[in-house]
Amino acid sequence: MNTDRRRNNAPPGGTSAPVFARTIREPGYLQSLRPRRSRGPNELRRIFLQPSIIPSASGSAYLEIPTSSTPSTSTLVPPTSSLKITASVQGPKPLPRSAPFSPSLLLTTTVKFAPFATRNRRGYIRDTTERDLGVHLETALRGVIIGERWPKSGVEVVVTILEGDEDGWWGDSASEGSANGSGWGLLNVLAGCITVASAAITDAGIDCVDVITGGVAAITRNPDSRDQKDLARLLDPCPAEHKEIVAACAVAYLASRDEITEIWMKGDIGADPDALIEGATHAAVGSLAVVKDVLLEALQAKFQGQLEVKESGVKRKAGDVDMTG
Amino acid sequence: MSLPSLALPGQLLGPTDKYLPGPGTHIHEQQIYASIAGPVISSPSKSHSSSTTTSSKSKLVPLLSISRPPTTTTDPGILGTGSGGGAPLLPAIDDTILGRITRLGARFATCEILVIGDTVCREAFQGQIRREDIRATEKDKIKIEESFRVGDLIRGVVISLGDQSNYYVATDRNEFGVVMARSEEGRLMYPVSWREFRDPVSGRAEGRKAAKPF
Repeated sequence: MNTDRRRNNAPPGGTSAPVFARTIREPGYLQSLRPRRSRGPNELRRIFLQPSIIPSASGSAYLEIPTSSTPSTSTLVPPTSSLKITASVQGPKPLPRSAPFSPSLLLTTTVKFAPFATRNRRGYIRDTTERDLGVHLETALRGVIIGERWPKSGVEVVVTILEGDEDGWWGDSASEGSANGSGWGLLNVLAGCITVASAAITDAGIDCVDVITGGVAAITRNPDSRDQKDLARLLDPCPAEHKEIVAACAVAYLASRDEITEIWMKGDIGADPDALIEGATHAAVGSLAVVKDVLLEALQAKFQGQLEVKESGVKRKAGDVDMTG
Repeated sequence: MSLPSLALPGQLLGPTDKYLPGPGTHIHEQQIYASIAGPVISSPSKSHSSSTTTSSKSKLVPLLSISRPPTTTTDPGILGTGSGGGAPLLPAIDDTILGRITRLGARFATCEILVIGDTVCREAFQGQIRREDIRATEKDKIKIEESFRVGDLIRGVVISLGDQSNYYVATDRNEFGVVMARSEEGRLMYPVSWREFRDPVSGRAEGRKAAKPF
């Protein structure tokens, strides 16, 4: 058992959301707090992205997908979690002396949940989920970086998840145990990691084939209908808003090349997995629009002086910046 | 098709028969795409005359490149060098570099490359100056310890990307060699000839491969 011996550790088992007496007295009250998806099936949550937030890193970005549902006035527990991820890129820097020769860029990805990122407290040492996410992120990014431009160098992508999407609604986990807690939130986290790492890599000026973004699509069971077969396909699921998710899929998608570098599927996909993948790429294109917009804005600020010099001599070109998703 | 003023990675810039790919771009299926984010610069350049498919007239094909952010060499980053200041840049052959000697061996001196061209590196690169690359004449009589000392600042040129960890640096021209050196007492010395530095107080001369002052 690898526990952290260097720090005062929190009690194992973690913290739990406070249980208010009203939820026990009134049986219907808890269910009335259940968040519902208020956006359309093809509508994504809003995304906040900010590049260049860490001055000492060569590139960095911060991504936040705020909670979509309005906070209820009757309880202190937020209905859904939000997603908050930072990514920093260190390098490209020369390899250590002991490393063997490498003709291309060596990519290292590290994904870490902050100890307070989820409802159950995480340890300081990377666990298997985090290493798994790191491998997924590495395969996603490896397909987009042009490594031959940086011989004998290494680059580190460090992703810290400050708040992760949950696997389900907190009310369910308290009452039904593990109702659907099989890591649906991780897919959202992976897609966010891919998007934010891509923005950080672009910020660092590492040669890429395209701007890569992550997207998630899911098949959920409709709780209102009597029919158990009634399934709905939707983009960017927030696991807390759905009582039962049947299948979900996260992809890393290169929009201008129409290529996928990473797929992660979970659950009972059914007969048509392609439709789910297709949906996830649509979600990725949606977040690409945000990433492109934000990066262009940052570029314009960075190259302000240079562009003005250029435009004063030549004709004005700022109007034809392509912003299509 | 007009060129965009700012490009992001993966943005289409133009076909390869109308433009030449420069730094910051890549070719995919006969089209030039941007590979880093930045302003697109198209500079006129002559196409190589080997294109025999077209008519004999040599047409001008603009070179498309994407410039990296301008580096402010005066700003070393918030925590000193190696902490975010400087540019992501690799040494290339024929680059003039500034470096500091870190180790002397029997056959070579080791240096760390700190500046490439005019830009400060984000991280120091390991460089190696072989004994025969120190000067151009009388190569068999070169002695490392009469040419460099640990801590000397040198100007040199990258002659090879080297092995797994070192770039090979040469100082075999007049303008290359030791730029700044301290004497054994620690005082800054001044060059008196191409192979001597002198301490201003004690007047003692020390052997160095001096760079010709501009």
